[in-house]
Amino acid sequence: MIIETDVLVIGAGPAGSLTAKHAALNGADVIIIDKKSEIGTPKRCAEGVSKEGLKKLKIEPSTRWVTKELSGVRLIAPNGTSVWLNDEKVKLPEAGYILERKVFDKHMAMDAARAGAQIMIKTIANGLRRDGDSLIVTAESMGEELEIKAKIVIGADGPESRVGRWVGLKTAQKPKNMESCAQFEMVNVKMEDPDAIEFHFGSTAPGGYAWIFPKGDDIANVGLGILTTETDKSAYEHLLDFVKNNPATQNAQPVEFNIGGDPVGGMHKELTADNFMLVGDSASQVNPLTGGGIISAMEAGVYAGKVAAKAIKEGDYSAKNLSEYQERCEENIGVKFERDLKVKDYLQSLSDEELNSIADAFQDIELDRINPAELIKQLIKVSPKALLKLGKLF
Amino acid sequence: MMIMKVKEWCMYCGECAGVCPRSLIEVRENSLKFDKDNCKECAVCIQVCPVQALAKEEVE
Repeated sequence: MIIETDVLVIGAGPAGSLTAKHAALNGADVIIIDKKSEIGTPKRCAEGVSKEGLKKLKIEPSTRWVTKELSGVRLIAPNGTSVWLNDEKVKLPEAGYILERKVFDKHMAMDAARAGAQIMIKTIANGLRRDGDSLIVTAESMGEELEIKAKIVIGADGPESRVGRWVGLKTAQKPKNMESCAQFEMVNVKMEDPDAIEFHFGSTAPGGYAWIFPKGDDIANVGLGILTTETDKSAYEHLLDFVKNNPATQNAQPVEFNIGGDPVGGMHKELTADNFMLVGDSASQVNPLTGGGIISAMEAGVYAGKVAAKAIKEGDYSAKNLSEYQERCEENIGVKFERDLKVKDYLQSLSDEELNSIADAFQDIELDRINPAELIKQLIKVSPKALLKLGKLF
Repeated sequence: MMIMKVKEWCMYCGECAGVCPRSLIEVRENSLKFDKDNCKECAVCIQVCPVQALAKEEVE
């Protein structure tokens, strides 16, 4: 069977669904396929998003998929010393709402369908070839082989990012740029402040951090990301240690277990090819410092959808004509990531002792009243190498 | 001959496929397929797995 469409989106995560929605809203015929039997399941995510991010995307928060509104952030040093930040004073990227991703992802796909996109679930793409000024994707759906001929194909296939490689883009991640993550969703979690998200730094999660993201009542996502280049233990083993040693999880019980890769090396350099664009985790559109990528993936999806629809109207699907997408991503997403990459490198260079002394020094500072320049000045006092690694950034 | 053994507890998260430099791993909803003929045994897939669900095995 061969199906023809203007735009084919491969993967119905937030990036793919927003791309499909905006391509359809702007007049293109759109098909979006997902290999899973349920969009959004299983989650591979700690589920934090910023309020500003959703607002910018004009997505109204819904009680169906927001589980918790947060008011603060707690940063924890290896010895347990905490630095508390108030969300109103210090803006942190993933500190606004905790979502129920299984519901959220479905709702984003529903919005795409309402805009006119056709959704095919349990449909996996397994190859791609060029045919004149189109791409033909071979796919399989419930035992049936099919071919989808599209003027533009969008790779939104997550951290696996195989679709991009089929058109020659370099999307394979090096292990040093791919966090290996494991998480329990737990009940009976006793957080010091259940309105604040917790980030735990140091050797508890080598090359990454551990988190506790509250989901209301005594429920929370308890997880961590590690770099496997920095430890011999698996993410799962580190998670078991974290849960065993953390005061908040002494009586906690898991109701769900999630794992997955998180690309934190910064956005890929090349996001387009002839008849092709890459969005979301597959484009490594993840904040390299926090590992959060929901908002940036959806923002890129809006750009990709609009650029795709425009290209369809113009009848020009060349990489050159699609480069507007690349430019908008670089300008609005990539630049911020470059700065965050440097902060991440600095953080990862710190020993447990250094992290402890920084947390100690910040006990006496009123963070709410401090500006970033003053903050860095204080930081340099206790951690001189911050000057070298961060001095130029602020 | 070397084969890649996928342990029973694999959760098909796809992290292995993301780091495979030769794009040899196809991850489906409930299965994982290796193109072992083209594998150069760099083992990064084994390294990054969050639950150590992959292992090289020598078979006759």
